[in-house]
Amino acid sequence: MKKKLKIVGFLCNWCSYAGADLAGVNRLQYGHEIRIVRVPCSGRVNPMLILKCFQEGADGVLVAGCHPGDCHYQEGNYYARRRMHVLRELLDFVGIDRRRFHVRWVSASEGAKWADVVNGTIEDVRAACKEAPDSALSLRGAAGATDA
Amino acid sequence: MLDELKQHVRDLLAGDVAFVVAYGESADGRTAPVLAREPADADGLVWNDRCYFNLTRYLTDRDVMGDGEAKIGIVVKGCDLKTLNVLLSEKQVKRENLAVVAVRCEGMKDADGNLLAKCETCTVADPDPSFCDRVIGPVPQREPREDDYKDVDEIEAMSPAERLAYWSAEFDRCLRCDACRNICPLCYCRECLASQHDPRWIPASSSIAGNRLFHIVRAFHLAGRCTNCGECERVCPAGIPITTLMRKMGSVVRDDFGFEPGATPDQRPPLVSFAHNDPDPEEVKAP
Repeated sequence: MKKKLKIVGFLCNWCSYAGADLAGVNRLQYGHEIRIVRVPCSGRVNPMLILKCFQEGADGVLVAGCHPGDCHYQEGNYYARRRMHVLRELLDFVGIDRRRFHVRWVSASEGAKWADVVNGTIEDVRAACKEAPDSALSLRGAAGATDA
Repeated sequence: MLDELKQHVRDLLAGDVAFVVAYGESADGRTAPVLAREPADADGLVWNDRCYFNLTRYLTDRDVMGDGEAKIGIVVKGCDLKTLNVLLSEKQVKRENLAVVAVRCEGMKDADGNLLAKCETCTVADPDPSFCDRVIGPVPQREPREDDYKDVDEIEAMSPAERLAYWSAEFDRCLRCDACRNICPLCYCRECLASQHDPRWIPASSSIAGNRLFHIVRAFHLAGRCTNCGECERVCPAGIPITTLMRKMGSVVRDDFGFEPGATPDQRPPLVSFAHNDPDPEEVKAP
């Protein structure tokens, strides 16, 4: 049976979520493999949330927030940027394909960019799944997608 | 030198210090951490090349410290002083409650008599006197080798699939005994995230994905904090190269954020601070 890719997106309420909304209002097409979770700020995204997604069988995770300097809370995304950078390096070091985890900055006016970001992420995750179906963090066995 | 240490500890205990965490002998004659409570206890203290224990571990141990209000003494090596600096910067101990006795160190040895890896590259054998109350012992003559991070580079040179296979084989042996966490002076959370029941972030039993997750989370929580005392790897019954993981984290915070954990007692840990010109997570090298 073919299994669809599953990508979890954590979007900050103030920029990226509004950007995704704009993409919708503009009827822009992008892949439906992403499931969006709205968070108050990219600085809210505990790395455990990302790891939990992989544990539960997600193939990829995307964290999107305001551009650095534009945070609604002044500096939340600066903290996120450091944390996510360290997490990405760490996952890469233990052999988890870095294409499965992306951190992007999308503003409320960048509906088109949002569609590109999602499509790019899906492409990357699909390529990673082609090489290794399992994220190596899933607790549900080799739950990786097979439609890659 | 040992006499000087004993005398100093004796003086401290005769004064306002409740107890001194130091190196002594266990019942079977091995070097072990001891608490000296009476001036006479100072007679039993030792200093040798088997004093590898990082005694700052006890500073956050509630069973030892009680309410933490008593003034205590602690014997540290230069490397342990870095850990103490992290604990101070994280406000886990009060400096005014501590009498810090630093010992100049010629390096510690393992059971086979080999110098520990961290000692080969040690740059703090002669502890910075501004971080302690007393420095004891002759100035070490040993020239440290420059740390080339060969262990980290070797793994980075592998392909992602090889890295995954390498770490899978290592983590597969993990018993989840929590020895690494329990010995770590910086794993002082009262309830460890790995032990939480609700939410159960990390499965309690040993499984390859769960073990991998545990070590990822532990490395992340120590990123920018770990001073590489190597105690986790020393106590690991499965021989997992935990310090390689920690050293990788150390090289990231050093290279990308210019941060050296434990360099001073008043610096903000790098993951609760930021700089406007931090690297973007996506900018780093492509796979």
